[in-house]
This record gives sequence, C-alpha cells and structure tokens, in this order.
Amino acid sequence: MTVWGMVLGAYPRSRLARYTLRDRERGTLDFSQYTSRLLIIHSEIIGVQKAHGLPIVVDGMVDWHDIFRPFIMRWKNVSVNGLLRYFDNNFFYRIPVFTGEPDPLEPVWLPRIRQFKDLAEPSSLKIVLPGPFTFVNLSQNVSDLSKTELAEAITSILKSEIELVKEENVFIQVDEPLVGDRRLSKEEVEEYLDYWNEIASLSSENSAIAIYFDVPQKEVFDVVLESKFKYISVDVIDSKRRAIELLGKTGLPGHVPVLGIVDARRIHEDKLDEELLTMIKKLSKESQEIVLTTTTWLDLIPYTYALKKTKILSKFVDIVSEKLGLEKRILWR
Amino acid sequence: MEYQVPRKFPTTVVGSYPKLEPAKQALRKIRKKQATPDELRDLFVEAIRGVVEDHLWAGVDIISDGEQTREDMVVYFAERMNGYMPGEWTRIFDNVYFRKPIIYGKVEWPEPLTVEDWKIASSFAEGRPVKGILTGPYTMLEWSFDLYYGDRREAIIDLAKELRKEIEALVNAGAKYIQIDEPALSTRPWKEEADIVKEALKIMLYGLDVKKIVHICFGKIEYILPYILEFPVDQFDLEFKNSNFRLLPYLKEYGYDKELGYGVIDVHTTQIESVDEIVEDIEKIMNLGILSPEKIYIDPDCGLKRLPREIARQKLKNMVEAAKIAREKW
Ligand SMILES: [Zn+2]
Repeated sequence: MTVWGMVLGAYPRSRLARYTLRDRERGTLDFSQYTSRLLIIHSEIIGVQKAHGLPIVVDGMVDWHDIFRPFIMRWKNVSVNGLLRYFDNNFFYRIPVFTGEPDPLEPVWLPRIRQFKDLAEPSSLKIVLPGPFTFVNLSQNVSDLSKTELAEAITSILKSEIELVKEENVFIQVDEPLVGDRRLSKEEVEEYLDYWNEIASLSSENSAIAIYFDVPQKEVFDVVLESKFKYISVDVIDSKRRAIELLGKTGLPGHVPVLGIVDARRIHEDKLDEELLTMIKKLSKESQEIVLTTTTWLDLIPYTYALKKTKILSKFVDIVSEKLGLEKRILWR
Repeated sequence: MEYQVPRKFPTTVVGSYPKLEPAKQALRKIRKKQATPDELRDLFVEAIRGVVEDHLWAGVDIISDGEQTREDMVVYFAERMNGYMPGEWTRIFDNVYFRKPIIYGKVEWPEPLTVEDWKIASSFAEGRPVKGILTGPYTMLEWSFDLYYGDRREAIIDLAKELRKEIEALVNAGAKYIQIDEPALSTRPWKEEADIVKEALKIMLYGLDVKKIVHICFGKIEYILPYILEFPVDQFDLEFKNSNFRLLPYLKEYGYDKELGYGVIDVHTTQIESVDEIVEDIEKIMNLGILSPEKIYIDPDCGLKRLPREIARQKLKNMVEAAKIAREKW
C-alpha cells in the first residue's frame, strides 16, 4: 500500500511570469524570447515539485488565463466573451462562446509534453483537461448544435488530446469542478457519464476526475463513482464536514482516492488533524493507494504561498506514510 | 434645507461612480507613492463634487459620494484598518492582479474611514440625503486572506464589531441611510453562510434609527433569498436588469415584504436604457402585486464605476424620468 502526492493544477505567476506575459501582450517580447522565458518559469515550477518528491508533476500552466482559454484559442468556431465569476472565487474567467462545431487547429498538450518531458524526469507529467460537463455549462452556445452535440464535440477533441500523448507515460486529469456544486441533481450529470467513460477508457490506469470548490450531493457523487476513472479527486477542506461525511458514507469503491487536503485557496499553514488522518486511514484500508493533493489549482494565491503549499503537501505525504505505515511512492513508473 | 424624498419610487444609486479625472490623478499618485491621500484631499473634493453634481443633474433623490477615494471596495478598508497588511499580487483575471489583503492580527477600526467623503458629498448635495456605504464583514473576509483567525465566523463577527463603529460614526455625522455591500454572499448562497451574515448584521445595525440597506449583486440570489429575508434590515438592494428580472417570481414565492432597491439599470452595458424601457421594467414588479410604490426604490443594478461618465449620467437621468412617470401611473 502506497501514498503519494501531486499538485492538482496550475501555479500562480511569479513576477517574472507576470512581466513576461505583459511584455508579450504589449509586443515588446518576440515569440522566441517569450518561449524561452516561459521555459525558465515552468522549469522552476517543475523543479520545485520534483524536489519535494512528487512522482507526478504539472508543468505549472502559468500561461493559461483560465482553464478553457488555451483550448478555445486553438479551436475554430469558439470565441471569448465577457468575464464571469469563476465559482465562488474573486477570480473571473472569460466565457467561451461556441458559434459552430469546435474544430481544433492544433493540440494544447502535445507540444507542452514534448517540451517538458525531459525536465520532469524522473517524475512524470500530468495533463489537465477541462471536463465536458463543466466546459459546456460554463460556456455560451450560440451555434446550431444542441447541448448534447456540443458535449460530444468537446469530448471528441479532449480524447484527441489524450490520443496524441498516449505514448508519453503521462497522467491524465479531467477537471469537473462544476460537479461539486451541491445544488446539482443526479439527472443533470448522468448524461455525462458516457462522455467521461469515453475519455477515461483511453487511459484507464492513469486517469483521474477532479471535483473541487465544493462537495457534491451523494446522488451526484454516485454517478461519478460509476465512471471508469481510476482516480477520483475530492476537495476535502472547503466543506470539510460534508466531505468527510460523503467519503465516510460511501468510500470510493473501485477507485483510488485523491484527497485535496492542502488548502489551495487560502494561505495559512495547513494542519493534518486527527479527523483527517482517521479518514485517510479508513480509506487506505479499502484502496491499494492513497493520493494527497491540493484542494484546487494553486493559481488563486500568490506565488510564494504556492511554493509553501507544495512543501506542505510533501510534508503531509511523509506524515501519512509514517503514521499509517504506507509506503511512500516517489516514482510513477 | 431638508429635501423631500418622494414617497413613491424614490430614486437612488448603489454607490460607486466612474472615477472622475481628479480622482484618477490622485489615485495614480497614491499608487506610485508620490503622495498620501491627505495631501490629495483637494483633488478628491473636486471629484466628489463632480459626482454629486451629476447626481443632482440627473435628479437622483438619495445620492452617494461615488466612492471616488476607493480604488477597490475591500482594499480601501483593509489598507486603513489595523490587523490587515497589504498582500502579494493575486490574479483577478487574464494578466490583471490585485494585492489581496491579508488579515494578520485582530482587526480594529482605527478612525472614521468614509465619514469625511460622506460629509463632502453632503456639503454639495443641496439637502439631498447621501448614503453612508461600506463593504460588509463577509465580503471583507472572503476577499482577503486570513492568517490570524482561522475561523471564518469569528473573523466575520470581529469585523462586524469594528465596522459597527464606522456606521456609528456615519450616523453621528448625520447619515440617514446606511448601506452595507455584501457582493460575496451571492457566491456562496448557503444557509450557513447567510446565518453568519445575519449575526453580523445584528451586531452592526442593532438599535440604530436609520434606513438599513444591504446590497447584494450578481450570482444566484434566488438561492439565498429565503434565508436573507430574516436579516435585520429595512431594504435589500438587488440586481434585476442584468439577469433579465429572473429574480421577480422568487420574490413572490418567498413572500418578500421588505423595501426593495430595484435594479433597473444594467451597469455592464453602455447601452442606455430608454425611459419607456425602465417604466416597463417598473411595471413588471408592479404586476407582481407584492410591494407598494412606497417600498420600491428605483436604482441601478450595482455601482456605475465601470461605465464612461457620460453614459452613467444619462442612464441615471432616464431612470429618474421613468420614476416620475411611474409615480403618476401607480
Ligand atoms: Zn454590486
């Protein structure tokens, strides 16, 4: 039985990153300068995660303005509209507007994986994709496509992203934060189970679905449990009581729990209390593997704190390994 | 001279107004640390006077100082309260950031923070009432980082106790309308959150003989509506226009009977609502048959700060015209 850690998603922008993006927008940085600066920025972030013994690392994704933007920028028939609040954060994303069937001009992940693969060694890289449920429901659809057709089209593009990196030994994570919305009913998500399974079955041994910002109702979570994703990631801190209740009730039969126990939206020093340890202990009896992660992406806090949170995550892996007698896994392969 | 606020459909504003040139200049200097707010008082006075003149030109009954000295509704208070320190850059969207404030100690109200601006606005208001407006404790916490309390309720209650002192200072200065802005509440529309805010509002507003208003905007307000009806306030000021009056049937469903700040001006579009359009929108709430015209305050959805001044002015003027027609009709 093993325990390991990974950061859920993007890192915030350091001063260098902010200036790099600004200068590129202003046109004072040419493309090759821009890419080489980004390489330095991403290398640092990858290096931090490696140094903390995380077997799966993210490249940092500091050039992503929001979870949808890198995708829609590379797809035809999608544009961006105004800003909308992103869940309960004081952060805003630009609403994707679908004017026709989305058509990818180039992939998002393949070039990144090629660029960062060697840097990440001996750790492996993770690709993060916005899930079809969240994508469709946080977008505006002014095309002739029905909602179902749009979901199908998006799913098919996401699948092609995975197909392209299939040989690269990457970890695949599909983010469905909207599934965490406690107001959802089973009926609203059920339709997406097929899409999730299409995605998950491409890489069933190393794919995860990530739910965060809130904790879903049990009936909604039951739909997620039916999915073929081996790993299911849940935000345990934002609504701790509800998360512990949900996971305590059902566990995650047939799946590996990925527990968001480092608060990625707040900057205090996290504590691994007895209540959390008890929950982890219980879950570890039902699974060969336990994964610890951040509650969400780290990009909602300043950069220095994101580095601290990475360190805390790594410390938590050590504590869990020691206290529960689980072997700490530092290599993915 | 006392101004007579119309009995039916009084018109008002939510608070912020486009930053006028002198205020922009002053804020720029403060940002670059070339001067302190006190040294730039004259510029702010000029800006506030401009805002009040626009409000008077449009004919708004209950006006504001336009929040000309506040660059951000949370940072303004955080920078001035003890227990807060400036944070590091946190992203808001795209490549745009703000220094999200950090609570690092017990929060304390040091001195009046908005009273001076309120007094300046009042001095130009020709007797019209000026709203005293402050950011509420829930939003103050949610849009800051907390390194001190660790417990959200505790932090919110402490903030409420301190912000009560600001309200008392405004009331002592003569403010008759107090508005607490809680935009963050609509992002977490759960009962347990609303309960904390209710407790905070009791602390802030207990025993005060003023019009007590809470402004909440955007997000799914229908989810919290049943809980906030128990808040100890006279009026909710809510956004309607931008969400195409989606909220109206819920008011009826939940038996809404407080006064209502009825948002009929979309602050996110530069398209100016015509007088007829606004009258029709007033008709929508009158057709519900739940509130009398005395309980309906006509105003924009939210602060006007993101609009060009000319547009903001004209929107307010049409709003006032529409309210006049509504007073004849109902
Ligand atoms: Zn507002």
